[in-house]
Amino acid sequence: MSLTITPTAALATVWNAVLPPEISAMTTLTNGDDLHLSLYRKMFQIRRFEEEAARAYAQSKIGGFLHLYIGQEPIAVGASAALRPDDYVMTTYRDHGLALARGMTPRAAMAELYGKVTGCSKGLGGSMHFFDKEHNMLGGYGIVGGHIPIAVGTAFASKYRGEDRVSMVFFGEGAVSIGDFHEGMSLAALWKLPIVFVCENNEYAMGTPLSRTLSVEDVSLKALAYGMERDRFNSEHVLQVRDRLGEAIARARTHSEPTLVEIRTYRFRGHSMSDPGKYRTKEELEERKKKDVLLRSRIELEEKGHKAALEAIDKEVEDEIADAVRFAEESPEPGPEVLEPTTYAGPFAR
Amino acid sequence: MTVLRYREAVRAAMIEEMERDERVYLVGEEVGHYQGAYKVTEGMLDKFGSRRVIDAPITESGFTGISIGAAMVGLRPIVEYMTWNFSAVAFDQILNNAAKLRQMSGGQLTIPLVLRAPNGSARQVGSQHSHSMEHFYAHIPGLKVLAPAMPADAKGLLKSAIRDDNPVLFMESETLYGVKGEVPDDPDFIVPLGVASIVREGTDVSIIAWSRMVHVALEAAAELEKEGISAEIVDLRSLRPLDEETVVRSVTKTHRAVVAHEGWPYGGVGAEVADRIQRLAFDELDAPVLRATTLDVPMPYNARLEQYVIPQAARIIENVHRVLYKS
Amino acid sequence: MAKVLELPKLSPTMEEGQISAWHKKEGDTIDIDDLLADVETDKATMEYKSFDRGTLLKILVPPGSVVQLGQPVAIIGNPGEDISALAGGSGGGAPAPQPSAAEAQPKGDRAAQPAGGAAPSGEAPATTAPPAARGDAVSPPTQPAAPQPSSDGRVKASPYVRKLGRERGLDLTSVAGTGPRGRIVARDLEGLKPAPTAAAAAPAAPGELAAPEVRPLSMMRKAIARRLTESKQTVPHFYLSIDVDADPLNALREQINADLAATAAEGEKPPKISFNDLLVKACAIALVRVPECNAQFTSDAILIHRRVDISVAVAVPEGLVTPVVRDVDRKQVLDIAAEVRELAGRAKAKKLRPEEMANGTFSISNLGMYGIDNFGAVINPPEGAILAVGQVRREPVVRGEQVVPGRRWGLTLSCDPRVVAGAVGATFLKVLRQLLEHPTQILIG
Repeated sequence: MSLTITPTAALATVWNAVLPPEISAMTTLTNGDDLHLSLYRKMFQIRRFEEEAARAYAQSKIGGFLHLYIGQEPIAVGASAALRPDDYVMTTYRDHGLALARGMTPRAAMAELYGKVTGCSKGLGGSMHFFDKEHNMLGGYGIVGGHIPIAVGTAFASKYRGEDRVSMVFFGEGAVSIGDFHEGMSLAALWKLPIVFVCENNEYAMGTPLSRTLSVEDVSLKALAYGMERDRFNSEHVLQVRDRLGEAIARARTHSEPTLVEIRTYRFRGHSMSDPGKYRTKEELEERKKKDVLLRSRIELEEKGHKAALEAIDKEVEDEIADAVRFAEESPEPGPEVLEPTTYAGPFAR
Repeated sequence: MTVLRYREAVRAAMIEEMERDERVYLVGEEVGHYQGAYKVTEGMLDKFGSRRVIDAPITESGFTGISIGAAMVGLRPIVEYMTWNFSAVAFDQILNNAAKLRQMSGGQLTIPLVLRAPNGSARQVGSQHSHSMEHFYAHIPGLKVLAPAMPADAKGLLKSAIRDDNPVLFMESETLYGVKGEVPDDPDFIVPLGVASIVREGTDVSIIAWSRMVHVALEAAAELEKEGISAEIVDLRSLRPLDEETVVRSVTKTHRAVVAHEGWPYGGVGAEVADRIQRLAFDELDAPVLRATTLDVPMPYNARLEQYVIPQAARIIENVHRVLYKS
Repeated sequence: MAKVLELPKLSPTMEEGQISAWHKKEGDTIDIDDLLADVETDKATMEYKSFDRGTLLKILVPPGSVVQLGQPVAIIGNPGEDISALAGGSGGGAPAPQPSAAEAQPKGDRAAQPAGGAAPSGEAPATTAPPAARGDAVSPPTQPAAPQPSSDGRVKASPYVRKLGRERGLDLTSVAGTGPRGRIVARDLEGLKPAPTAAAAAPAAPGELAAPEVRPLSMMRKAIARRLTESKQTVPHFYLSIDVDADPLNALREQINADLAATAAEGEKPPKISFNDLLVKACAIALVRVPECNAQFTSDAILIHRRVDISVAVAVPEGLVTPVVRDVDRKQVLDIAAEVRELAGRAKAKKLRPEEMANGTFSISNLGMYGIDNFGAVINPPEGAILAVGQVRREPVVRGEQVVPGRRWGLTLSCDPRVVAGAVGATFLKVLRQLLEHPTQILIG
């Protein structure tokens, strides 16, 4: 099965003509193994972070909702590798992976899950609301699709100011049915804004399979109605994700044009920690786990003789995550004094 | 000082602030080529061009969200809804994003955003187009809500709103757009948020109102004067923050209060004002605080019934009589 | 079965009480221990709590009435019960309640008030008529009491009216409300004067003596007047005075207070002790050593107390009260100091319970803070003696052959010679002087 659809032929022509040489170089798969190793390290960090978060959740150290990204790591990591640090990103409540991929420290992330004042959002946001302004990670959002127009707004601001920043917004295929997706797409296309819409199609909107939520399985087709460029592929390799998104990013940066990209992926855990997972079979899950992109990178790098480097990464990441958990455990909780200044800038309006 | 209509005062505030700050822009339905559904933005497209005066399709949720996003990264958008009624389809953006982003980000982000539109009843526009939305929005921490009655306040408060670093919701009124008043020309003239004004001094009863109802209250006060009742009128101007000191000072003088507003009574801003008075001026009250509001039903189309449902001067007078034990 | 509630004894010395407020109104359901009324006794305002269960059918005495112990005040029973016999009968035996002076004036006005919102016509003058006079006019108990402030004890007034009432000293129970359900609103106060005093202070006509300001006697003032007269007329007094060297006591006191300050926990206000605290303890020791001074006269025998309970006189706006520090001989000076302050504070707030002011065995009255050097106090019966304490004076004293600056303290014991003979009183003072001039004994005594 191949879902891959390349950009239209016409666009490809334009593409090759306008790409600056340094971007061309970045978009090949022939980069050195150093890059691959570093992206593997980031994916592994996210995986281990979330496995430990799940443990802490089971120990009741983390409350509320906890939506794990396990299985989808190559998308956030590949995307971040293709973006510049000053580009804006936003995502859904399944936001740990993107935050870590963009450079948030595991300490700030874990402390946020623990509701501690040292967390990225001072313990006020929790799992669903990771924000890191320094790394232009402009948040995880809890209302499905509600963040899409906001991301379009950041692209609007870049264009308004004449900057060449790009915005990238992530959402699941469940968001494709809601109005804000369409309003955001429509306005981004109408106003030609530098944004990439990334639909992480993990095949299940919570517990409902794709076939029961969308009349047209191909999400990328939604772009056609808005006259927007589109792309669609399976998440098979972190470098492949980086390269394919790189094309859409370049289109936004150089032409201020939006793209809708659908990436087929799969999450290995439930929708949230309270998901019994009855909507899919064990066999299906086991089959998909064999295609774990993280595992694929590891095997590939081992085969290329990087066993020692991988072992060093294992150790570093384990230490990093253990340190993050310790930090979160030991950090103080926020006091009531944080509440009013985080509600209004300036004096409280009562 | 120049005599301006309310709509011209609003426009003057936007023009001055857009000239003052490049980050300020205007977006909304029919704000550009059409010259504004109520002519508030007339001439602004010519003046500033389509980069800064942006016609949006009918996508309230979309352009509200976009403006929140733009504000989040440093612009200072002014969003015009054709009326506040249509903000209901953007309610999620206002409630869950504009009002929450600062808190969810642990204080990392600010949202300097102005949302403005006519509010309340117009004439026979039916139930879906006659809402008083300030009651919904003033409930939400993270938002500020303004509702000026006079042209000068409209200009001064809108300028303050545009300079504020928080989401500010600015309530105008279709029935006020033609009201004339002296307005300062000074581009540095602003009216601070959270300061009420006494538009009429009196000794027997305080009538607390905002927006169009200030004018209705003035009408009622003139009638009451003929009966020998001296009514003081407090124009709140700003509903959140709310100037409880001025309200309490007035009630301490008169010992009786009637809150007059459009919109339903249940849990509205009038109920909030009544709570502040009973809490902060309990010992000053000679009667319970009463409210003259829109009746608790959807707005009817029929002209006679509409006038019956909307609070009129007679309803204010009736409530004043009750707090003075004259009925 | 309906029953008559009578005024209970709410303090040990109470003979009559003034019902200052009813907390229940006619028709209210009453449970055991429910607060029925506030009763001002000679000592304090006491709570009259119900011992019965039922419905309050009739209030027989309006607020402000002075009632003798055992006199009927209310009728309790089942709703709808016929109480005419009880109401009429009870009026026959007991004297009619007398409205107090403070209440008389406004009540007179009430009769002239419009009847708007009033109860059935027969009941209107309830505040002045004695129960006997209206025995047949009792309204059916099932009917809720009329919302008249004076009949249900609850004044319905706007918050602003209540504030004005507090500020101007108005008695709102006497004001007829014209607002909804009889609420007193601001306009009802127009032209109203603070009744009891202002009315009497009319300017004098030329050639006449200016009328004095009339201050009605409170229950407490009446009690004080009666007790003092009784003491001075029936108890013989004789007086013994000494002047003690207060320098050693002063040095000790300063040392104690310095040590207390130095050892207080961080941020905590250190306790302090006064000359008076040391004196209270010294008296207790002296009373143990000279028990005849800790005694009481009765017509049959002299009672020598086996406890040392010292009454400490405290001036309050209404006069003088004497809270009792119990078992002073067994207490430390620091504890005594704290207890005296606590009692004095509650005395000033009128919060003392009657039993806290009764059954002392010896009294101390200190007017040193007013600059008094010496005085003789009136014995507080049935105690046998009282010590009057002046101020500690700075003056030249002779030490050896030198005149040096020193401190002297004048103390005068008033004794009832029937129980404390002159020699006994003198012995007590001798012991007391030794203690005060060698004050470490006070700490170890």
